[in-house]
Amino acid sequence: MASSILSRMFRRKAKPKVEQLRDVETIKRRRLNAVIGIAVGLATLPLVALYLLLALSSFADRIVTGPDIIEAEYSTTNWKLLFQGKLEPAAGRLYDLRELIMIIVNTFIVALGVTVAVVLISVMAGYAFSRMKFRGRVGLMEFIILLHAFPGVALIIAVYAIYVWSLGAVPKDVLTEYRFLYTILARASLEIPMSIWLMKGFFDRIPWEVEWSAMVDGASRIRVWRQIVLPQIKPGIAAISIFAFLAGWEDLIYVHVFLYTGGIKTLATFLEEVIGNIETTYLPIAAAAGTLYLIPTIVFFVLTQKLLLEAMSGGVKA
Amino acid sequence: MVEVRLERVSKRFGRVVAVNNVNLQFPDGKFSALLGPSGSGKSTILYLIAGIYKPTLGKILFGDRDVTELPPKDRNVGLVFQNYALYPHMTVYDNIAFPLRLKKIDENAINDKVNNVSKLLRIQDLLERYPHQLSGGQQQRVALARALVKEPEVLLLDEPLSNLDALLRLTIRAEIKRLQQKLEITAIHVTHDQAEAMSMADYIAVIDRGSVQQVGSPWEVYNKPRNLFVATFMGSPPSNVLPGRIVRENGIWIDVGGSMVKPPERMVELLRESELDDVIVAFRPEHASIVKEPEEGYISIPAEVFVTEPLGRESIVTAMVGGSSVKVLMPPEAEFKPGESVYIQIQPDKLMLFDPITELNIEVARPGKS
Repeated sequence: MASSILSRMFRRKAKPKVEQLRDVETIKRRRLNAVIGIAVGLATLPLVALYLLLALSSFADRIVTGPDIIEAEYSTTNWKLLFQGKLEPAAGRLYDLRELIMIIVNTFIVALGVTVAVVLISVMAGYAFSRMKFRGRVGLMEFIILLHAFPGVALIIAVYAIYVWSLGAVPKDVLTEYRFLYTILARASLEIPMSIWLMKGFFDRIPWEVEWSAMVDGASRIRVWRQIVLPQIKPGIAAISIFAFLAGWEDLIYVHVFLYTGGIKTLATFLEEVIGNIETTYLPIAAAAGTLYLIPTIVFFVLTQKLLLEAMSGGVKA
Repeated sequence: MVEVRLERVSKRFGRVVAVNNVNLQFPDGKFSALLGPSGSGKSTILYLIAGIYKPTLGKILFGDRDVTELPPKDRNVGLVFQNYALYPHMTVYDNIAFPLRLKKIDENAINDKVNNVSKLLRIQDLLERYPHQLSGGQQQRVALARALVKEPEVLLLDEPLSNLDALLRLTIRAEIKRLQQKLEITAIHVTHDQAEAMSMADYIAVIDRGSVQQVGSPWEVYNKPRNLFVATFMGSPPSNVLPGRIVRENGIWIDVGGSMVKPPERMVELLRESELDDVIVAFRPEHASIVKEPEEGYISIPAEVFVTEPLGRESIVTAMVGGSSVKVLMPPEAEFKPGESVYIQIQPDKLMLFDPITELNIEVARPGKS
């Protein structure tokens, strides 16, 4: 029985369909583009829509979520109040503009600090893993992947314990600097494993011959690295910079534990304060704070995007 | 310019012996080829000369200068790679100027030199472009210009033509040869293409498994192969090889696939002296022909036609002798049917015999007997 059904099915399938002869590759390409377009659209549209609503709400007298986009009244009041340090139209000033700017500066210190640390360490480590043979290289690389698997939250107790232990050696007058340094290094160390792998991939794409060529041309190893290798991995550096910057910018747990407890605020902890109790918060101002938090991310991404997409092909036939 | 000499050079990578006790001499101002299959160690030898690898044992000399311990930047060699290895983030001009800028030469002098060498290689119109905007042939010319601009004592070429298409390869081949002769530079060219080595080089060193198999002029290497490897590596198609058994009755005979062959006079003495029971019979496809009836004055072996491949200028006829196949070059009008019984007729003076154990040519390899 079953076999007869099967054979019937197959017979139907085997029937030659009349199809126009077309260029196989282009059909596939076109169809693929359509599929990718729809998939990317579906994946990003809800997020983009939410961000747009957030930005819109920051100018509105209420949180807009749908049809009320038309009814709401728009003004720059929320932003003015935010910069005046009033978290509700009727409330008193909680902070002044100078303090808000300091919060933004602090956030930049952490984000850029993490970026510098991540880029410096992973570019050098990535080069070593890509180019040098040493004992335990493969094992170490696998271990690094494992490190990446640990969530930062899981490590916080140990990281805090080390922090407390290390405090004994820190003079009181540089405590603030030490808090920043510790936050930056702790946060960077979470990003470094993945970045090392990314950088290794970029170094792997540069053939040995290019380096050899430069050495034969008369360059020292260091010069080859600086003048020949580094310029070719710019897109990779841009990529890990973005990830590192965002990691530092977005971080809440580490800045909370090591900075906020010391009275140093960043935008993440500021936002945490602004929202406070979600039921009583005046949300349009919180929306303005949220939008403020988004802006540098967008700017940073737009600035580095060109580098990311820059195709450095040719000149070397792999 | 300078003569390059390798003295008892070995290179080991861990347990792998890539180059084994090599003695080589690359004459001053001549074009030498290092010819061998992939993995033979020929590129390793080139990198040893460039200073990219350090020999495990042995010495490398440029003229009287011992360069064994010198880093590549102090050797003054020009190196061209198969994959061009241009710097993708620099323009053609900056690529060529790179070695000069490292020498801290005055920018005007650099400009002159870059312009001269680009005229020589006919790339003066491409100087403002980036490598990825160039064709393969243009990129290879830029790589050559970059290697030549610093006026190196030795030009090293690592399969520079392998990534180019067949037609372009012929053009650049002639161009490199012309440049080398014009500049009278010592050139060492690594290739696996025996036709390339034959056509370009003044001297060929055949390399296999990390050892030098034979050194000589293209003519010598082709016509007087020192061992079986050289005989079967050179030529397209390469030499035919048939197993033979020596029969010592009524003089000396060789049993090839069941038929008795009388070796040429000059070999009889050599064979008699040797204690060989078996021998490998070899001959080049162009030194034999296929006939229906054997003629006087040739060595004839009965065979059966397997297939005929017409190539326009000639045809390659494959015939079976015993269990082995033999390829013979015939004029294009020759017609044979598969399965036809024929004779392979070899010119006696072109016959080669090899010791099956040492694989050495019994005529060439015996000292004092050639």
